[in-house]
Amino acid sequence: MRRFKLPPQILRLVLLTLGIVGTYFVARAVLTPPSFGKYGWYRGAALEELAARTPVYAGKQACDECHSEILHKLAADAHKTLSCEACHGVSREHGENPDILPVKLTGSHCIRCHEANVSRPAWFKQIVVRDHYSGKCVECHVPHQPNQTP
Amino acid sequence: MKTPYNRRSALATLGGALAGVLTLTVARPLKAAVQKVFVSSGAPRGYDPSKHKWLMCIDTNKCIGCGLCVEACKKENGVPEGPYYRTWVERYIIPKPKPGDGQTRGETLVDCPNGGMHGFPEPPMPKSQIEHSFFVPKMCNLCEHSPCVQVCPVGATFDAPDGAVLIDPTYCIGCGFCIQACPYGCRFLNPVTKTAEKCTLCYHRITRGLKPACVEICPTQARIFGDLKNLVPDDPIQKFYEQNRVQVLKPHLGTEPRVLYAGLDKEVR
Repeated sequence: MRRFKLPPQILRLVLLTLGIVGTYFVARAVLTPPSFGKYGWYRGAALEELAARTPVYAGKQACDECHSEILHKLAADAHKTLSCEACHGVSREHGENPDILPVKLTGSHCIRCHEANVSRPAWFKQIVVRDHYSGKCVECHVPHQPNQTP
Repeated sequence: MKTPYNRRSALATLGGALAGVLTLTVARPLKAAVQKVFVSSGAPRGYDPSKHKWLMCIDTNKCIGCGLCVEACKKENGVPEGPYYRTWVERYIIPKPKPGDGQTRGETLVDCPNGGMHGFPEPPMPKSQIEHSFFVPKMCNLCEHSPCVQVCPVGATFDAPDGAVLIDPTYCIGCGFCIQACPYGCRFLNPVTKTAEKCTLCYHRITRGLKPACVEICPTQARIFGDLKNLVPDDPIQKFYEQNRVQVLKPHLGTEPRVLYAGLDKEVR
């Protein structure tokens, strides 16, 4: 009985094919990041990496931990929609270490919103600073309770 | 005659290759485990992107054009100095028509100096000539069918399961296709990293239960942010729907944005 022998040229072709396919799988295993395809055709770990950054603005709840009294006053008046950091600036450092004071405020900050402008909605309180008063805003207005007088 | 290729050596080579492939298959999950410990240690735990669907509502009737959102976005996300914005505020000025023109209104002027970050100069025409004028804050429109994601050749930008459209900065090759594809002009090429950049909905904040910086800072609550999958009773989003007639930007493109606007004018693009 004659034993079947694979012709050498076929064997070479088979080995070559196996080699190419094998290289593809090896290359894919090495080059594809582990989390690729976790949620879709992208690197799933990118979500965690993007989420890993530290927030800059602390948020109103962080202020509420110590300054709930002021926040209470604020909530009862016209400035209730304001975030603390809208006026006091980024205050995360102040939250971690109360000795570092938040940025000091000046009257120019009030007119950032309240300077009259045709494009501003009519319901919003606006003043023409030139005709209004030349002194400081806080002489007549309480920023935390704008409807009260000092 | 002794040939260099006999059965034994051929089998040994094949076996070696097979062992190599198997080792790599084991190495992959190992690599993943190592990465999980060292790379993402700073990420907030317990956040499951498939359990949220974020939505942004913008009420242009409330926007006062103070530019605090633009400033907050720049600070929060370290957006480079110069004309690069992830969110910006546009001013629309619609003049009254010239008499006998046969038009309902004059030609609309749109401006956005410094992204609106430092406020707006006096309008270029007297108040009496202005039919009406208003501000429109703009940002990534969180499209359901994002054109920017479709064109990315390397899978660097994607629709996250929670609805945020994000960019993987380590994968982005900076080709700029997505910047051209975005119909809302919400993307730019970061001049420092040379990769595409856009609003991430402050992904590092929302995954920690905070609001995005622009929403947090907006003094009039013109921006409302919420989670469609976790609506609370009396949710601000629900209220927004009830109180306003809601519109999206460029609805004819079929992108189905999840940034909803109230008080839009037909001139707003």
